[in-house]
Amino acid sequence: MKARDPVKVSSKSSPVMGKGVSSRGIWSGTLSFSLVAIPVHLVKAVEPGRVSFRMLHRKDYSPLKTRMFCPEEETIVPPDEIVRGYEIAHDSYILITDEELESVTPERSRTIEIIEFIDAKEIDPIYYDHPYYLVPSKGGEKAYCLLAEAMRQTHRAGLAKFVLSEREHLVVVKSTEGALAVITLHYGEEILPKESISAKEEVEDEEKNHIKKKIRKMMTDFDPEKYADERRKKILTILKSKVKEQAPVEAPEIEEEGRTGPADLVATLRESMRKVKKKR
Amino acid sequence: MSRKIVAISGKRLSLSNLEKDLYPSYGFTKAQILEYYRRISKFILPHLKDRALTFKRYPDGVEKDFFFEKRCPSHRPVWVKTAEVRTEDGERKNVCLVNDLETLMWVANLASLELHVPLARASSPETPDCMVFDLDPSDGADILDCARVALILHDLLSELKLANYVKTSGKKGLHVYVPLNSRETTFQETKHFSKAVADIVQKNYPDLVTAKMSKVYRKARVFINWSQNDSSKTMICVYSLRALERPIVSFPLAWNELERLTSEDDPKKLQVMSLDAVGRIENEGELFREVLIKKQRLTRL
Repeated sequence: MKARDPVKVSSKSSPVMGKGVSSRGIWSGTLSFSLVAIPVHLVKAVEPGRVSFRMLHRKDYSPLKTRMFCPEEETIVPPDEIVRGYEIAHDSYILITDEELESVTPERSRTIEIIEFIDAKEIDPIYYDHPYYLVPSKGGEKAYCLLAEAMRQTHRAGLAKFVLSEREHLVVVKSTEGALAVITLHYGEEILPKESISAKEEVEDEEKNHIKKKIRKMMTDFDPEKYADERRKKILTILKSKVKEQAPVEAPEIEEEGRTGPADLVATLRESMRKVKKKR
Repeated sequence: MSRKIVAISGKRLSLSNLEKDLYPSYGFTKAQILEYYRRISKFILPHLKDRALTFKRYPDGVEKDFFFEKRCPSHRPVWVKTAEVRTEDGERKNVCLVNDLETLMWVANLASLELHVPLARASSPETPDCMVFDLDPSDGADILDCARVALILHDLLSELKLANYVKTSGKKGLHVYVPLNSRETTFQETKHFSKAVADIVQKNYPDLVTAKMSKVYRKARVFINWSQNDSSKTMICVYSLRALERPIVSFPLAWNELERLTSEDDPKKLQVMSLDAVGRIENEGELFREVLIKKQRLTRL
Protein backbone atom coordinates (compact mmCIF):
# COMPACT_ATOMS: atom_id res chain seq x y z
CA MET A 1 0.00 0.00 0.00
CA LYS A 2 1.16 3.49 -0.84
CA ALA A 3 2.12 5.55 2.21
CA ARG A 4 -0.03 8.68 2.44
CA ASP A 5 0.50 11.92 4.24
CA PRO A 6 -1.49 12.30 7.44
CA VAL A 7 -2.30 15.90 6.55
CA LYS A 8 -5.71 16.19 4.99
CA VAL A 9 -5.66 18.24 1.81
CA SER A 10 -9.06 19.38 0.72
CA SER A 11 -8.43 21.08 -2.60
CA LYS A 12 -6.62 19.65 -5.57
CA SER A 13 -4.33 22.64 -5.79
CA SER A 14 -1.46 23.17 -3.40
CA PRO A 15 -2.80 23.51 0.13
CA VAL A 16 -0.70 26.61 0.73
CA MET A 17 -1.39 28.58 -2.40
CA GLY A 18 -5.02 27.47 -2.59
CA LYS A 19 -7.85 29.61 -1.35
CA GLY A 20 -8.73 27.34 1.56
CA VAL A 21 -5.89 28.49 3.77
CA SER A 22 -6.11 31.76 5.66
CA SER A 23 -3.03 33.92 5.31
CA ARG A 24 -3.21 35.14 8.91
CA GLY A 25 -0.21 33.48 10.51
CA ILE A 26 -0.03 32.10 14.04
CA TRP A 27 3.69 32.69 13.96
CA SER A 28 6.16 34.22 11.55
CA GLY A 29 9.92 33.89 11.34
CA THR A 30 12.49 31.96 9.34
CA LEU A 31 12.90 28.35 8.37
CA SER A 32 16.61 27.62 8.23
CA PHE A 33 19.26 24.97 7.87
CA SER A 34 22.96 25.26 7.17
CA LEU A 35 23.18 28.53 5.16
CA VAL A 36 19.60 28.63 3.89
CA ALA A 37 17.08 30.98 5.56
CA ILE A 38 13.52 31.22 4.23
CA PRO A 39 11.04 33.79 5.62
CA VAL A 40 7.83 31.92 6.43
CA HIS A 41 4.71 32.03 8.52
CA LEU A 42 2.79 29.25 10.15
CA VAL A 43 -0.92 28.66 9.58
CA LYS A 44 -3.34 26.06 10.90
CA ALA A 45 -3.71 22.90 8.84
CA VAL A 46 -6.75 21.48 10.60
CA GLU A 47 -9.82 22.95 12.20
CA PRO A 48 -11.68 20.49 14.38
CA GLY A 49 -15.29 20.50 13.26
CA ARG A 50 -16.88 20.22 16.66
CA VAL A 51 -20.13 22.17 17.03
CA SER A 52 -19.96 23.92 20.38
CA PHE A 53 -22.80 25.30 22.44
CA ARG A 54 -23.09 27.98 25.11
CA MET A 55 -24.77 27.01 28.37
CA LEU A 56 -27.67 29.38 29.11
CA HIS A 57 -29.83 30.03 32.14
CA ARG A 58 -33.26 28.70 31.19
CA LYS A 59 -35.05 31.56 32.99
CA ASP A 60 -33.69 34.47 30.95
CA TYR A 61 -31.13 32.93 28.54
CA SER A 62 -28.17 34.65 30.21
CA PRO A 63 -24.95 32.92 29.15
CA LEU A 64 -23.48 31.09 32.15
CA LYS A 65 -19.90 31.35 33.34
CA THR A 66 -17.73 28.82 35.09
CA ARG A 67 -16.39 29.77 38.46
CA MET A 68 -13.94 28.09 40.83
CA PHE A 69 -15.99 26.53 43.59
CA CYS A 70 -14.75 25.33 46.97
CA PRO A 71 -16.89 22.36 48.05
CA GLU A 72 -15.46 22.62 51.57
CA GLU A 73 -16.75 26.15 52.20
CA GLU A 74 -19.51 25.96 49.57
CA THR A 75 -18.39 29.26 48.11
CA ILE A 76 -16.96 30.71 44.92
CA VAL A 77 -13.23 31.30 45.29
CA PRO A 78 -11.85 34.64 44.02
CA PRO A 79 -8.74 34.55 41.76
CA ASP A 80 -6.40 35.94 44.44
CA GLU A 81 -7.11 32.93 46.65
CA ILE A 82 -6.20 30.38 44.00
CA VAL A 83 -2.76 28.68 43.87
CA ARG A 84 -1.43 25.74 41.87
CA GLY A 85 -0.67 22.35 43.43
CA TYR A 86 0.81 19.18 41.95
CA GLU A 87 -0.95 16.12 43.36
CA ILE A 88 1.59 13.63 44.72
CA ALA A 89 -0.92 11.51 46.59
CA HIS A 90 -4.57 11.77 47.48
CA ASP A 91 -5.11 15.18 49.21
CA SER A 92 -1.37 15.84 49.20
CA TYR A 93 0.13 18.54 46.98
CA ILE A 94 3.38 20.30 46.19
CA LEU A 95 2.78 24.04 45.61
CA ILE A 96 4.26 25.77 42.59
CA THR A 97 4.22 29.50 41.85
CA ASP A 98 3.64 31.28 38.55
CA GLU A 99 7.18 32.67 38.81
CA GLU A 100 8.61 29.17 39.04
CA LEU A 101 6.63 28.14 35.98
CA GLU A 102 7.60 31.28 34.11
CA SER A 103 11.28 30.68 34.90
CA VAL A 104 11.22 27.47 32.85
CA THR A 105 9.18 28.88 29.97
CA PRO A 106 11.37 28.97 26.87
CA GLU A 107 11.94 32.12 24.80
CA ARG A 108 9.74 32.49 21.76
CA SER A 109 11.46 31.07 18.66
CA ARG A 110 12.33 33.37 15.78
CA THR A 111 13.49 30.47 13.60
CA ILE A 112 12.62 26.88 12.88
CA GLU A 113 16.15 25.53 12.59
CA ILE A 114 16.35 22.12 10.99
CA ILE A 115 19.00 20.18 12.92
CA GLU A 116 18.90 16.93 10.98
CA PHE A 117 17.22 15.29 8.03
CA ILE A 118 15.68 11.84 8.19
CA ASP A 119 13.75 9.53 5.93
CA ALA A 120 10.13 10.72 6.13
CA LYS A 121 8.86 7.13 6.34
CA GLU A 122 10.86 6.47 9.49
CA ILE A 123 8.50 8.34 11.79
CA ASP A 124 5.82 6.13 13.25
CA PRO A 125 2.53 8.10 12.86
CA ILE A 126 1.91 7.53 16.55
CA TYR A 127 4.40 10.39 17.15
CA TYR A 128 2.35 12.91 15.14
CA ASP A 129 0.61 15.45 17.34
CA HIS A 130 -0.61 18.56 15.50
CA PRO A 131 -0.14 19.65 11.87
CA TYR A 132 0.44 23.16 10.50
CA TYR A 133 1.35 24.54 7.10
CA LEU A 134 4.34 26.76 6.43
CA VAL A 135 3.58 29.58 3.99
CA PRO A 136 6.41 31.51 2.30
CA SER A 137 6.54 35.19 3.33
CA LYS A 138 7.45 37.91 0.84
CA GLY A 139 10.80 37.16 -0.81
CA GLY A 140 10.89 33.54 0.33
CA GLU A 141 8.77 32.00 -2.42
CA LYS A 142 11.58 30.67 -4.61
CA ALA A 143 13.69 29.10 -1.87
CA TYR A 144 10.52 27.65 -0.36
CA CYS A 145 9.49 25.91 -3.60
CA LEU A 146 13.03 24.61 -4.12
CA LEU A 147 13.17 23.09 -0.65
CA ALA A 148 9.66 21.63 -0.85
CA GLU A 149 10.45 20.05 -4.23
CA ALA A 150 13.84 18.67 -3.13
CA MET A 151 12.32 17.15 -0.03
CA ARG A 152 9.44 15.65 -1.99
CA GLN A 153 11.75 13.98 -4.52
CA THR A 154 14.08 12.57 -1.88
CA HIS A 155 11.35 11.68 0.64
CA ARG A 156 13.28 13.49 3.32
CA ALA A 157 11.92 15.24 6.37
CA GLY A 158 13.69 17.73 8.64
CA LEU A 159 13.71 17.62 12.43
CA ALA A 160 13.69 20.89 14.36
CA LYS A 161 13.07 22.27 17.81
CA PHE A 162 10.51 25.03 17.94
CA VAL A 163 8.79 27.01 20.69
CA LEU A 164 5.07 27.48 20.13
CA SER A 165 2.71 28.79 22.84
CA GLU A 166 5.35 28.70 25.56
CA ARG A 167 6.35 25.09 25.01
CA GLU A 168 9.32 23.70 23.14
CA HIS A 169 8.24 21.11 20.60
CA LEU A 170 10.12 18.62 18.53
CA VAL A 171 8.71 19.14 15.04
CA VAL A 172 9.10 17.50 11.68
CA VAL A 173 9.18 19.63 8.53
CA LYS A 174 7.96 17.68 5.56
CA SER A 175 6.84 18.18 2.01
CA THR A 176 3.19 17.58 1.26
CA GLU A 177 1.77 18.09 -2.25
CA GLY A 178 4.05 20.99 -3.13
CA ALA A 179 3.90 22.67 0.27
CA LEU A 180 5.81 22.36 3.49
CA ALA A 181 4.04 21.16 6.60
CA VAL A 182 5.23 21.36 10.18
CA ILE A 183 3.94 18.64 12.46
CA THR A 184 4.60 18.76 16.18
CA LEU A 185 5.73 15.40 17.49
CA HIS A 186 5.18 13.74 20.80
CA TYR A 187 8.37 13.30 22.77
CA GLY A 188 9.48 9.69 23.19
CA GLU A 189 8.55 9.71 26.85
CA GLU A 190 4.94 10.55 26.01
CA ILE A 191 4.49 7.38 23.97
CA LEU A 192 3.13 4.59 26.17
CA PRO A 193 4.98 1.25 26.10
CA LYS A 194 3.30 -1.24 23.84
CA GLU A 195 4.93 -4.43 25.22
CA SER A 196 1.95 -4.97 27.46
CA ILE A 197 -0.42 -5.28 24.50
CA SER A 198 1.63 -7.09 21.84
CA ALA A 199 0.39 -10.68 21.83
CA LYS A 200 2.94 -13.46 21.45
CA GLU A 201 0.77 -16.34 20.27
CA GLU A 202 1.99 -19.00 17.82
CA VAL A 203 -0.03 -18.91 14.58
CA GLU A 204 -0.32 -21.38 11.72
CA ASP A 205 0.78 -20.27 8.24
CA GLU A 206 -2.56 -21.38 6.85
CA GLU A 207 -4.46 -19.12 9.23
CA LYS A 208 -2.17 -16.24 8.40
CA ASN A 209 -2.72 -16.63 4.65
CA HIS A 210 -6.44 -16.78 5.18
CA ILE A 211 -6.40 -13.42 6.97
CA LYS A 212 -4.08 -11.87 4.36
CA LYS A 213 -6.48 -12.92 1.61
CA LYS A 214 -9.42 -11.33 3.39
CA ILE A 215 -7.50 -8.08 3.80
CA ARG A 216 -6.49 -8.06 0.15
CA LYS A 217 -10.14 -8.35 -0.87
CA MET A 218 -11.00 -5.19 1.06
CA MET A 219 -8.05 -3.14 -0.27
CA THR A 220 -8.73 0.33 -1.75
CA ASP A 221 -7.04 3.75 -1.92
CA PHE A 222 -7.21 6.07 1.07
CA ASP A 223 -9.91 8.65 0.34
CA PRO A 224 -10.84 10.73 3.37
CA GLU A 225 -13.50 12.57 1.35
CA LYS A 226 -15.65 9.44 1.58
CA TYR A 227 -16.09 9.89 5.31
CA ALA A 228 -17.70 12.68 7.30
CA ASP A 229 -18.72 13.34 10.87
CA GLU A 230 -22.36 12.29 10.57
CA ARG A 231 -23.38 13.64 13.96
CA ARG A 232 -21.97 17.06 13.13
CA LYS A 233 -23.80 17.10 9.80
CA LYS A 234 -27.08 16.25 11.49
CA ILE A 235 -26.64 18.89 14.20
CA LEU A 236 -25.95 21.55 11.57
CA THR A 237 -29.06 20.48 9.62
CA ILE A 238 -31.16 20.83 12.77
CA LEU A 239 -29.67 24.27 13.51
CA LYS A 240 -30.21 25.49 9.96
CA SER A 241 -33.88 24.54 9.95
CA LYS A 242 -34.34 26.08 13.42
CA VAL A 243 -32.87 29.40 12.30
CA LYS A 244 -35.48 29.50 9.52
CA GLU A 245 -38.40 28.43 11.68
CA GLN A 246 -37.98 30.35 14.88
CA ALA A 247 -36.53 33.59 16.18
CA PRO A 248 -33.44 33.17 18.39
CA VAL A 249 -33.84 33.75 22.13
CA GLU A 250 -32.08 36.88 23.39
CA ALA A 251 -30.00 37.26 26.52
CA PRO A 252 -30.68 40.34 28.67
CA GLU A 253 -28.28 43.14 27.75
CA ILE A 254 -26.94 43.97 31.18
CA GLU A 255 -26.61 41.12 33.60
CA GLU A 256 -26.92 42.84 36.96
CA GLU A 257 -29.37 45.71 36.78
CA GLY A 258 -31.76 44.81 34.03
CA ARG A 259 -32.29 46.70 30.83
CA THR A 260 -32.47 50.38 31.56
CA GLY A 261 -30.57 51.17 34.74
CA PRO A 262 -31.62 53.41 37.60
CA ALA A 263 -34.53 55.64 36.68
CA ASP A 264 -32.90 58.91 37.73
CA LEU A 265 -29.89 58.41 35.42
CA VAL A 266 -32.14 57.77 32.46
CA ALA A 267 -34.36 60.71 33.39
CA THR A 268 -31.34 63.01 33.72
CA LEU A 269 -30.03 61.85 30.37
CA ARG A 270 -33.37 62.44 28.67
CA GLU A 271 -33.59 65.93 30.07
CA SER A 272 -30.05 66.77 28.95
CA MET A 273 -30.60 65.22 25.55
CA ARG A 274 -33.59 67.46 24.98
CA LYS A 275 -31.44 70.53 25.58
CA VAL A 276 -28.72 69.21 23.29
CA LYS A 277 -31.18 68.59 20.47
CA LYS A 278 -32.41 72.17 20.64
CA LYS A 279 -28.84 73.29 19.97
CA ARG A 280 -27.94 70.87 17.18
CA MET B 1 21.99 42.49 12.97
CA SER B 2 23.43 45.88 13.77
CA ARG B 3 23.56 46.86 17.42
CA LYS B 4 24.27 50.01 19.29
CA ILE B 5 24.67 50.32 23.03
CA VAL B 6 23.37 53.52 24.60
CA ALA B 7 23.13 54.68 28.21
CA ILE B 8 20.04 56.53 29.47
CA SER B 9 20.13 57.81 33.06
CA GLY B 10 23.05 55.46 33.62
CA LYS B 11 21.11 52.43 32.35
CA ARG B 12 22.54 50.47 29.46
CA LEU B 13 20.28 49.61 26.58
CA SER B 14 21.13 47.74 23.41
CA LEU B 15 19.35 49.11 20.33
CA SER B 16 19.12 46.94 17.24
CA ASN B 17 18.53 47.47 13.52
CA LEU B 18 18.11 51.23 13.80
CA GLU B 19 18.28 51.66 10.03
CA LYS B 20 15.39 49.23 9.40
CA ASP B 21 12.45 50.92 7.67
CA LEU B 22 9.31 49.90 9.57
CA TYR B 23 6.92 52.07 7.47
CA PRO B 24 8.32 51.08 4.06
CA SER B 25 5.78 52.79 1.80
CA TYR B 26 6.26 56.09 3.67
CA GLY B 27 9.86 55.72 4.84
CA PHE B 28 10.20 55.84 8.62
CA THR B 29 13.05 53.94 10.22
CA LYS B 30 13.37 52.48 13.67
CA ALA B 31 15.77 55.29 14.51
CA GLN B 32 13.03 57.80 13.63
CA ILE B 33 10.51 55.87 15.71
CA LEU B 34 12.84 55.94 18.73
CA GLU B 35 13.44 59.64 18.12
CA TYR B 36 9.68 60.30 18.02
CA TYR B 37 9.11 58.48 21.30
CA ARG B 38 12.11 60.23 22.86
CA ARG B 39 10.81 63.68 21.93
CA ILE B 40 7.22 62.90 22.98
CA SER B 41 8.30 61.06 26.17
CA LYS B 42 7.67 64.02 28.48
CA PHE B 43 4.02 64.05 27.35
CA ILE B 44 3.26 60.36 26.84
CA LEU B 45 4.94 58.96 29.97
CA PRO B 46 2.35 60.34 32.46
CA HIS B 47 -0.36 58.55 30.44
CA LEU B 48 1.54 55.24 30.43
CA LYS B 49 2.67 55.44 34.05
CA ASP B 50 1.76 52.49 36.29
CA ARG B 51 -0.42 50.88 33.64
CA ALA B 52 -0.02 47.35 32.29
CA LEU B 53 1.39 47.78 28.80
CA THR B 54 0.15 45.63 25.95
CA PHE B 55 2.86 45.48 23.31
CA LYS B 56 1.76 45.37 19.70
CA ARG B 57 4.95 44.43 17.93
CA TYR B 58 5.78 44.75 14.23
CA PRO B 59 9.25 43.18 14.02
CA ASP B 60 9.21 43.36 10.21
CA GLY B 61 7.34 46.62 9.81
CA VAL B 62 3.72 47.70 9.46
CA GLU B 63 3.13 45.73 6.27
CA LYS B 64 4.11 42.43 7.85
CA ASP B 65 2.70 40.35 10.68
CA PHE B 66 2.36 41.71 14.18
CA PHE B 67 1.80 40.09 17.52
CA PHE B 68 0.40 41.17 20.85
CA GLU B 69 2.40 40.63 24.02
CA LYS B 70 0.70 41.17 27.36
CA ARG B 71 3.27 39.52 29.59
CA CYS B 72 6.46 41.42 30.26
CA PRO B 73 9.05 39.45 28.23
CA SER B 74 11.45 37.48 30.42
CA HIS B 75 14.41 38.89 28.43
CA ARG B 76 13.69 42.39 29.80
CA PRO B 77 16.51 44.43 31.33
CA VAL B 78 16.64 44.19 35.14
CA TRP B 79 15.63 47.84 35.53
CA VAL B 80 12.27 47.51 33.77
CA LYS B 81 9.50 47.92 36.34
CA THR B 82 6.82 45.26 36.39
CA ALA B 83 3.59 44.58 38.25
CA GLU B 84 1.69 41.40 38.85
CA VAL B 85 -1.86 41.41 37.56
CA ARG B 86 -4.55 38.79 37.26
CA THR B 87 -6.36 37.80 34.14
CA GLU B 88 -10.09 37.07 34.13
CA ASP B 89 -9.57 33.36 34.63
CA GLY B 90 -7.41 33.87 37.69
CA GLU B 91 -4.01 33.50 36.03
CA ARG B 92 -1.27 35.71 37.41
CA LYS B 93 1.11 37.41 35.06
CA ASN B 94 3.85 39.97 35.11
CA VAL B 95 3.27 43.08 33.03
CA CYS B 96 5.60 45.95 32.10
CA LEU B 97 5.09 49.45 33.49
CA VAL B 98 6.46 52.15 31.21
CA ASN B 99 7.37 54.73 33.83
CA ASP B 100 10.58 56.21 32.44
CA LEU B 101 12.36 57.14 29.25
CA GLU B 102 14.68 54.13 29.27
CA THR B 103 11.76 51.69 29.42
CA LEU B 104 9.95 53.59 26.66
CA MET B 105 13.10 53.32 24.49
CA TRP B 106 13.40 49.61 25.25
CA VAL B 107 9.75 49.07 24.29
CA ALA B 108 10.11 51.05 21.05
CA ASN B 109 13.28 49.11 20.23
CA LEU B 110 11.19 45.90 20.36
CA ALA B 111 9.23 47.40 17.43
CA SER B 112 6.18 47.79 19.62
CA LEU B 113 4.92 50.67 17.50
CA GLU B 114 1.53 50.77 19.19
CA LEU B 115 1.25 51.17 22.95
CA HIS B 116 -2.05 49.96 24.42
CA VAL B 117 -2.97 50.47 28.09
CA PRO B 118 -5.98 49.74 30.31
CA LEU B 119 -8.16 52.50 31.77
CA ALA B 120 -7.06 51.55 35.29
CA ARG B 121 -3.66 51.45 36.95
CA ALA B 122 -2.05 48.08 37.66
CA SER B 123 -2.30 48.63 41.42
CA SER B 124 -6.07 49.23 41.30
CA PRO B 125 -7.26 47.25 38.29
CA GLU B 126 -10.97 47.49 39.13
CA THR B 127 -11.23 51.27 39.42
CA PRO B 128 -10.88 53.15 36.13
CA ASP B 129 -9.34 56.62 36.06
CA CYS B 130 -11.72 57.64 33.31
CA MET B 131 -14.76 56.63 31.32
CA VAL B 132 -14.35 56.30 27.59
CA PHE B 133 -16.53 56.30 24.47
CA ASP B 134 -14.76 54.59 21.59
CA LEU B 135 -16.34 55.89 18.38
CA ASP B 136 -15.86 53.44 15.58
CA PRO B 137 -17.18 54.11 12.05
CA SER B 138 -18.48 51.13 10.10
CA ASP B 139 -18.02 50.77 6.35
CA GLY B 140 -19.62 53.71 4.62
CA ALA B 141 -19.14 56.02 7.61
CA ASP B 142 -15.91 57.93 8.22
CA ILE B 143 -14.07 59.96 10.82
CA LEU B 144 -16.27 63.00 10.04
CA ASP B 145 -19.34 61.00 11.08
CA CYS B 146 -17.42 60.09 14.24
CA ALA B 147 -16.73 63.77 14.79
CA ARG B 148 -20.45 64.59 14.51
CA VAL B 149 -21.24 61.94 17.15
CA ALA B 150 -18.36 63.15 19.33
CA LEU B 151 -19.77 66.70 19.26
CA ILE B 152 -23.20 65.41 20.34
CA LEU B 153 -21.56 63.42 23.16
CA HIS B 154 -19.59 66.52 24.13
CA ASP B 155 -22.77 68.60 24.45
CA LEU B 156 -24.59 65.88 26.35
CA LEU B 157 -21.74 65.21 28.80
CA SER B 158 -21.26 68.94 29.31
CA GLU B 159 -24.99 69.24 30.13
CA LEU B 160 -24.34 66.57 32.76
CA LYS B 161 -21.51 68.77 34.13
CA LEU B 162 -18.87 66.24 33.15
CA ALA B 163 -15.70 67.65 31.60
CA ASN B 164 -14.74 65.58 28.57
CA TYR B 165 -11.87 65.41 26.09
CA VAL B 166 -11.41 63.97 22.63
CA LYS B 167 -8.52 62.40 20.77
CA THR B 168 -8.13 60.78 17.39
CA SER B 169 -7.60 57.04 17.47
CA GLY B 170 -4.96 57.55 14.78
CA LYS B 171 -7.00 55.21 12.56
CA LYS B 172 -10.59 55.97 11.57
CA GLY B 173 -12.15 56.67 14.94
CA LEU B 174 -12.29 59.11 17.81
CA HIS B 175 -12.11 58.52 21.56
CA VAL B 176 -14.03 60.67 24.04
CA TYR B 177 -12.64 60.55 27.60
CA VAL B 178 -14.36 61.59 30.82
CA PRO B 179 -11.80 61.87 33.64
CA LEU B 180 -12.82 60.45 37.03
CA ASN B 181 -9.58 60.01 38.99
CA SER B 182 -11.34 58.87 42.12
CA ARG B 183 -10.88 55.40 43.48
CA GLU B 184 -14.59 54.97 44.17
CA THR B 185 -15.96 54.56 40.65
CA THR B 186 -15.90 50.99 39.38
CA PHE B 187 -15.90 49.58 35.86
CA GLN B 188 -19.38 48.30 36.49
CA GLU B 189 -20.52 51.88 37.01
CA THR B 190 -18.69 53.36 34.02
CA LYS B 191 -19.92 50.54 31.79
CA HIS B 192 -23.44 51.08 32.96
CA PHE B 193 -23.30 54.86 32.63
CA SER B 194 -21.65 54.82 29.21
CA LYS B 195 -24.17 52.28 27.93
CA ALA B 196 -27.07 54.48 29.06
CA VAL B 197 -25.46 57.46 27.31
CA ALA B 198 -24.82 55.45 24.12
CA ASP B 199 -28.41 54.19 24.13
CA ILE B 200 -29.97 57.62 24.43
CA VAL B 201 -27.75 59.12 21.73
CA GLN B 202 -28.64 56.24 19.46
CA LYS B 203 -32.34 56.67 20.15
CA ASN B 204 -32.15 60.35 19.22
CA TYR B 205 -29.82 60.00 16.23
CA PRO B 206 -30.72 56.56 14.80
CA ASP B 207 -29.38 57.34 11.33
CA LEU B 208 -25.98 58.31 12.63
CA VAL B 209 -25.37 56.13 15.64
CA THR B 210 -25.58 52.60 16.88
CA ALA B 211 -24.82 51.30 20.35
CA LYS B 212 -25.14 47.66 19.40
CA MET B 213 -22.16 45.37 19.02
CA SER B 214 -23.66 43.40 16.18
CA LYS B 215 -22.28 44.36 12.75
CA VAL B 216 -25.79 44.02 11.31
CA TYR B 217 -26.78 47.25 13.06
CA ARG B 218 -23.62 49.07 12.12
CA LYS B 219 -24.18 49.73 8.43
CA ALA B 220 -22.81 53.17 7.57
CA ARG B 221 -23.15 54.30 11.15
CA VAL B 222 -20.92 55.21 14.02
CA PHE B 223 -20.75 52.59 16.73
CA ILE B 224 -20.46 54.04 20.24
CA ASN B 225 -18.44 51.30 21.85
CA TRP B 226 -19.17 51.63 25.55
CA SER B 227 -17.92 48.13 26.34
CA GLN B 228 -14.32 49.37 26.38
CA ASN B 229 -15.10 50.40 29.97
CA ASP B 230 -13.86 47.08 31.28
CA SER B 231 -10.85 45.97 33.30
CA SER B 232 -9.88 43.49 30.60
CA LYS B 233 -9.87 46.04 27.74
CA THR B 234 -7.11 48.36 26.61
CA MET B 235 -7.12 51.61 24.63
CA ILE B 236 -4.42 53.00 22.37
CA CYS B 237 -2.46 55.45 24.52
CA VAL B 238 -2.66 59.11 23.57
CA TYR B 239 0.44 60.08 21.48
CA SER B 240 1.12 56.43 20.53
CA LEU B 241 2.05 55.74 16.92
CA ARG B 242 -0.32 53.64 14.86
CA ALA B 243 0.81 50.93 12.49
CA LEU B 244 -0.67 52.25 9.27
CA GLU B 245 0.97 53.19 6.00
CA ARG B 246 2.05 56.52 7.45
CA PRO B 247 3.29 57.18 11.01
CA ILE B 248 0.08 58.77 12.30
CA VAL B 249 -0.44 59.18 16.06
CA SER B 250 -3.41 59.15 18.40
CA PHE B 251 -3.69 62.85 19.23
CA PRO B 252 -5.97 65.11 21.31
CA LEU B 253 -8.02 67.85 19.63
CA ALA B 254 -9.65 70.87 21.25
CA TRP B 255 -13.45 70.77 20.93
CA ASN B 256 -13.63 74.02 18.97
CA GLU B 257 -10.93 72.72 16.65
CA LEU B 258 -12.92 69.52 16.08
CA GLU B 259 -16.02 71.63 15.38
CA ARG B 260 -14.09 73.72 12.83
CA LEU B 261 -12.42 70.74 11.11
CA THR B 262 -15.75 68.93 10.90
CA SER B 263 -17.32 71.88 9.08
CA GLU B 264 -14.40 71.85 6.61
CA ASP B 265 -15.45 68.35 5.61
CA ASP B 266 -11.95 66.99 4.96
CA PRO B 267 -11.29 63.78 6.88
CA LYS B 268 -7.52 64.01 6.29
CA LYS B 269 -7.26 67.19 8.34
CA LEU B 270 -8.28 65.24 11.44
CA GLN B 271 -5.15 63.09 11.38
CA VAL B 272 -1.95 64.16 13.09
CA MET B 273 1.44 62.98 11.83
CA SER B 274 4.14 62.06 14.32
CA LEU B 275 6.43 64.72 12.87
CA ASP B 276 3.94 67.47 13.79
CA ALA B 277 3.00 66.13 17.22
CA VAL B 278 5.64 67.66 19.47
CA GLY B 279 5.40 71.06 17.78
CA ARG B 280 1.63 71.10 18.22
CA ILE B 281 1.86 70.27 21.93
CA GLU B 282 4.43 73.02 22.40
CA ASN B 283 2.11 75.53 20.70
CA GLU B 284 -1.28 74.41 21.96
CA GLY B 285 -0.41 72.76 25.26
CA GLU B 286 -0.93 69.19 26.38
CA LEU B 287 -4.69 68.94 25.82
CA PHE B 288 -5.01 65.52 27.46
CA ARG B 289 -3.30 66.46 30.73
CA GLU B 290 -6.64 67.15 32.42
CA VAL B 291 -7.69 63.54 31.77
CA LEU B 292 -5.08 62.51 34.35
CA ILE B 293 -5.83 65.24 36.86
CA LYS B 294 -9.47 66.29 36.88
CA LYS B 295 -11.50 64.62 39.62
CA GLN B 296 -15.15 64.00 38.76
CA ARG B 297 -17.96 61.73 39.85
CA LEU B 298 -20.61 60.27 37.63
CA THR B 299 -23.92 62.04 38.13
CA ARG B 300 -26.42 60.35 40.42
CA LEU B 301 -25.65 56.69 39.97
